[in-house]
Order: sequence, then structure tokens, then C-alpha cells
Amino acid sequence: MPDMSAIANPQQRQFNPYAENGGTILAVAGADFTVIAGDTRQSEGYSIQTRYASKVFRLTDRAVLAVNGFAADGNMFVKKVKQRLEWYRHNHAKDMPLRSIARLIQTMLYAQRFFPYYVYNILGGIEEDGTGAVYSFDPVGSYEREACRAAGAAQSLLQPFLDNQIYFKNQTAARGYSHPAHLPLPDVLSIVIDSFTSATERHIEVGDGLEMYIVMAKGQTLPDAVTNLLPEELPSTGDGERVFVLKRDLKKD
Amino acid sequence: MNALLSKFSATDADSEIRTAMDLAEEDGLTDAMWGSQAGFGQLVQGHAFNIPAVPNPTAFLRLHTDDHADPNCKIKIQHGTTTLAFRFQGGVIVAVDSRATAGSYIASGTVKKVIEINPYLLGTMAGGAADCQYWETYLGIQCRLHELRNRERISVAAASKYLSNLVYSYKGMGLSMGTMICGWDKTGPTIFYVDSDGSRLKGDLFSVGSGSTFAYGVLDQGYRWDLTDEEAQELGRRSIYAAGHRDAFSGNTCNLYHVKEDGWRFIGNYDITKMHYDGPGAVPGSLGSGYGYDVRTDNRFSVLPKPVSA
Amino acid sequence: MECSFALTGKDYVIIAADTTAARSIVKMKVDEDKIKTLSPHLLMAYSGESGDTIQFAEFIERNIRLYHIRNLYPLRPQSAASWIRRSLAESLRSRSPYTVNLLIGGFDTADESPHLYWVDYLGTMASVPFAAHGYGSYFALGLLDRYHNPDGSLEEGLDVLRRAINETAQRLVVAPGNYIVKVVDKDGTREIKL
Repeated sequence: MPDMSAIANPQQRQFNPYAENGGTILAVAGADFTVIAGDTRQSEGYSIQTRYASKVFRLTDRAVLAVNGFAADGNMFVKKVKQRLEWYRHNHAKDMPLRSIARLIQTMLYAQRFFPYYVYNILGGIEEDGTGAVYSFDPVGSYEREACRAAGAAQSLLQPFLDNQIYFKNQTAARGYSHPAHLPLPDVLSIVIDSFTSATERHIEVGDGLEMYIVMAKGQTLPDAVTNLLPEELPSTGDGERVFVLKRDLKKD
Repeated sequence: MNALLSKFSATDADSEIRTAMDLAEEDGLTDAMWGSQAGFGQLVQGHAFNIPAVPNPTAFLRLHTDDHADPNCKIKIQHGTTTLAFRFQGGVIVAVDSRATAGSYIASGTVKKVIEINPYLLGTMAGGAADCQYWETYLGIQCRLHELRNRERISVAAASKYLSNLVYSYKGMGLSMGTMICGWDKTGPTIFYVDSDGSRLKGDLFSVGSGSTFAYGVLDQGYRWDLTDEEAQELGRRSIYAAGHRDAFSGNTCNLYHVKEDGWRFIGNYDITKMHYDGPGAVPGSLGSGYGYDVRTDNRFSVLPKPVSA
Repeated sequence: MECSFALTGKDYVIIAADTTAARSIVKMKVDEDKIKTLSPHLLMAYSGESGDTIQFAEFIERNIRLYHIRNLYPLRPQSAASWIRRSLAESLRSRSPYTVNLLIGGFDTADESPHLYWVDYLGTMASVPFAAHGYGSYFALGLLDRYHNPDGSLEEGLDVLRRAINETAQRLVVAPGNYIVKVVDKDGTREIKL
């Protein structure tokens, strides 16, 4: 006897190609450097898929891209951005400037307007004029240059903290003093590390490991306080901008 | 075997790129992306957008992006805004807020909702941030091409119609934009309202976004054709303040632009909380005091209980 | 669509309510008075679900009257508003709640001050210098923030009300055509032609 229940109860199926893989990314621009960071936990629902999956990627000697949201889309997107940057290098015999990478990312995201990449991007690096810069994107390509931005699972925990510590929002300077426009690198790094340890304490999707990329402008050297943290320097092509990576453990529960 | 051989025999970088491009072509990327149009070139050819392979792509998009239908959906598109523009004796005033919300989270308080299309044209941003940013940048390219081809600047009417026709061709696909194209051309100061439904309206005064009703309340009552430049700028600021104060989805700061015969000029950025308590600061046309109701009425007789001083 | 506005000034409260009674897309009546005089110095504008509005308003009207008869003095505006709000709040937890929004304006003859309360069908109450219900509120509130003067004369108050009504008429697609305007001050309540 055929299964009549299948006929009696019509089945509906929905095509869902998206997942949310947790984690958080963060970037802060300084006067002549930029820090781009992300945790390394990748999860789906309450299960941790891996404790080490990078969300931050070096694109050029002066550009680093952090991706958050749906990991498969994110990895695919970074791959395609890298490919386009390589083509640019072959055609123009130089790296694409940061602001152009930002515009490229907009057009690449918008090309998927009707089938979006479920990815929140933060691009950090050094502008042509030698200043640190952060660009943040929504999944379909609207973007803006900022001084700092947190995105992902714990953005609502981190962004208010950064607003307070980087922009000095809701803080009043003592009489005769004023807030600095840019913080020095050691201060930014401790704020970034504190941000992620705190997010790990209060958000289940954040933890395991922390990767911080530091992009230094041309001719700038790391302060001793940072050199003492033993960052790894990534090989660069010339005597221009330099990229360093600092890794830290986060709680694994 | 021959095909295999020829595929691997090309060793120079150029042919490698060509192979990569051939592969990319299957992905919907084309030659045009390499051209001078910064990747925009391919769009007009018609096969730019990757469409999901489902029976109803629009429903698919709405399922995953519409935060009104489902606040928990994964892809949140920025919504909520107040923008306004009006025409008067001294040109066009454009004023907008700077808040972007995703659900009830304030995603950004520093959004640039006035898009500088070229030195004579401004566009405002309401609805999908990416839709406005992308298509108005694209419009800027087309306006420049018009200049090069016709040796004269494009009229506001023509520019707005270009945008209107463009978004109309995507009708029903889920684009969301409500924009005012503002500028000064041979006919004088001009505003066109263009939205993603395909409407395009010429007018003296428009406000768009969730806070528009509150802005209209102040704008309509203070509007006259013969406003001075200073009065007009003050009215723009004051109307955005009203919306920032009453509409939760609007706020943070106000960006003010003034379009005159020689193109647009950025007037300033004003903090809405500062405007509430202290006013916009030392700017021409301002009263020099806070806009806030309780600040303006200075705790004079009122049915409200007197605030307890700290 | 239904709209009501109210504002206070120097020793008075003005309440305005539109005069349409609609069912579906049809205007059943165009001169309905939706502002009740509850006691010599108390006005209440009501709007919301048809049927509920009149039932609730008459229930309130009769009970406020009963209080006056029994005690030989009326409830003060603060107390009346509290009691009306409580009635709505209790109705909300009943099997069939009243869906009625109110503006309660009164003049307290004891301390010689005007009082205005904004009350919605959920029993939310706020004491405010000006108020509005319906779609008109989206246009009027920003305007009232800008133009309302808490110690303006009656003429000034009526001017601000005219602004609010005109703005609504100009911008709201479904704006009502006519309004009834009532004032309450130390001399009691009266209707005013705008």
C-alpha cells in the first residue's frame, strides 16, 4: 500500500543556502597604522566546528580584510578579491591602493545583490597618503570609511566599548586637556585584546583564539612595547608598508 | 591531448591571465570589469547579477533580507532615515540625518546619506544603503559620459530620469530606494524625487524616510519661497532635528548642503543632541539656543513636573 | 482616518477631534462629536474601535457624573484621569478589552491649573503639554515641539492648533475634513469655531 500520508500532507521545502558561523571581527585605524583582528572560533548553532579558522586575511602589503558571517561565503569572497588583486598587479605592476580595494569590494558585493554573500566585511590598511584607514561594508556593498568598527556576533558588545575608548564618546576631558585624535599602537592593542577577552566572557560564539594583524605605514617601526609581544612579520615585497601578526589564546569553553 | 597540450604550453603571464579570465567569464565576470568603468561596464550588458536558481528569486531574496517580515533573518539591510530637500529663492537646501539601524541596533551614527554625484548634483539616501550608494555612483559615471559626449552638463531632469528608468527596469526584484536628485541646471534650482517603485516627481519640497512626517511638520510650517540663505539652512537643520528627536530610527547628526548656481557646498555637520541642548552653534540663521522643547520653553509654566536639579 | 489633538496653554486646555464616523471605506456621519464633557471642567476626546468608543465613553461619562452627584463635587482632573486609565487597564485584562484611545484635558479649580493626559488603549498614561492620537500625530508632534508655547494665550494656542490641523490636511492622504474644538479653563468647557 502506497504511503498516503505524503499525499494527504503536502510537503513544503525551502532552499536555504545560508548559515551563521559566529565569531567577531574588529578593526581600529591609528595615525600611521591599522589593527585588524578577529577571533578564530567557527560554530553553527551550539556546536563548535573548529577552534582555528581564520577570519582575517592579508590582501596586499597595505591591505587586510576581515570577513564575518557565513564562513563558506566569506572564504569564497576573499578568494575572489585576492584573484582580482592579483590580476590588477599583473596589469599595472603595482598593488591596488586601499581606497580602490574598498570600491572593488563594493562592486563585487553588489554584483551579488539578488543572491547576496552573507558576509560582513571590514577592510583595514594604509591609505596612499600614509594614514591608517578602516572601511566597513554591509552584505550588499554599502561602505563607509571609519576610525574603528566591530562586526559579527559580539558587535553590540564591542562597538559601544570602542566608541567610548577610541572616540572618547560620553567622556569629558579634564579641564585644560583634550582627547587625542589617534591612540598609539600599544594602547590600541590592549584595547583590542581586552575587547576580545570580554566578548569571550559574555558571548558563546566568541573565543578559542585571537589573530591581530598590524599594518604599519611606510618608514614606521613597531614601538618596543609591541616588539616585546613578539609579533610575526609577514614577508613583504619592498620597503613600503609592513604587516605583522600577533596571536593570542582566548578561553576555550 | 592537443587541447591539453595547448592549455599547459602557454607559459607567459598574459596567457595565464587570459585563461583565468576565460574561467571567470563562466562566473558572470566579463572583460568589461577590467575596463575603465571600474567594473560598472558589465552591468549595462545585462547579465551582471547572479540570480539564485530557485523558482521565485524575489521571494528568496525577501526571505533572507527583509527585516520587516522577519526580524531574525540573517542579512540585515539598513533601513530608517530622515532626508529632506527644498527649493527656494537662494537655491536648494539638502539636509539628512546620519543614523543606520539594523533592527533595533544602531549600526552606524556616521553614515553619509548625501551622495555627491558630481560638483553640481546631489543625491540623498533612504531605503537600501547599498542600492542608493551603488546606483548613484553609477549615475555619476553616466553623467560624466553625457558631459563628454554632448559638451554640456546633464540637466537634473535628465539625470533623474536616467536613474528612474534604471531602477524601474529592476521593479519587483527587491531594490529599495527613495532618493531626491538635487542640482542646479539651465532651468535653475531643481529637485526630483525618484524611488524604486519607479515614481519620479518634480517639486519644491520633499522629505523621505521613516522620520519624514516629523520633518514635514516643521518644514511645511516654516517654508517660504523668499527665505534667505541663512533662514533656509536653519529650517533644514531644524527639521532634521525634529525628526531625530521624534523618530527612533533617525538621529545622531545632521549633514547640511546648499546647492547654488556654481554647484553644491557642504555647510556642516551638526550633532542632534547638541542641537537639543545648545543649538547648532555659532552659525548664521540660528537663534543661538537649544531646539529642545523643554530647553526652548525654559521650564516656564507647564503641566510637566519641574525636573529635579541634581 | 481618525485624528485628535490637544494642547495646554496659560490656564487652559484645547482639545480637537475630527468629526467623521467611518465604517470600512464609507463615511457614515460627518458631524459626530467625539469629545465628551465629563464634568464642568473636564473634557475627554476618544477614538478607536467603533462601538467600543461610544460604549466606553458613556460608561466613563456616567460614572464621573455619579461621583459628582454622590459627593456634590466633581473628581479633580488628576484623579479622573487615573480612574479612567485604571478602567482601561482592567478592561485590557478582561475577555473583551476596549480598544479606545483618549485625550483627557481638565482645569483643576482647586489649584487653578490645566492638566492634559495622553492615554492609549493599553492603559498607558502620560501627563504632557501637548498630545495627539492617530496618523495626525506623526505630522503634529514635530511641529508642536517647534511651535507650542506652554504659557501662550488662548488665541496663540488656537493658532498652533490651526497649524497642526492644516499640516495634517496638507500631508495626510486620509486626512479628516472637519474638527470639533473644545476648550476648558476656569470658566468651564465650551466649543470653539476654528
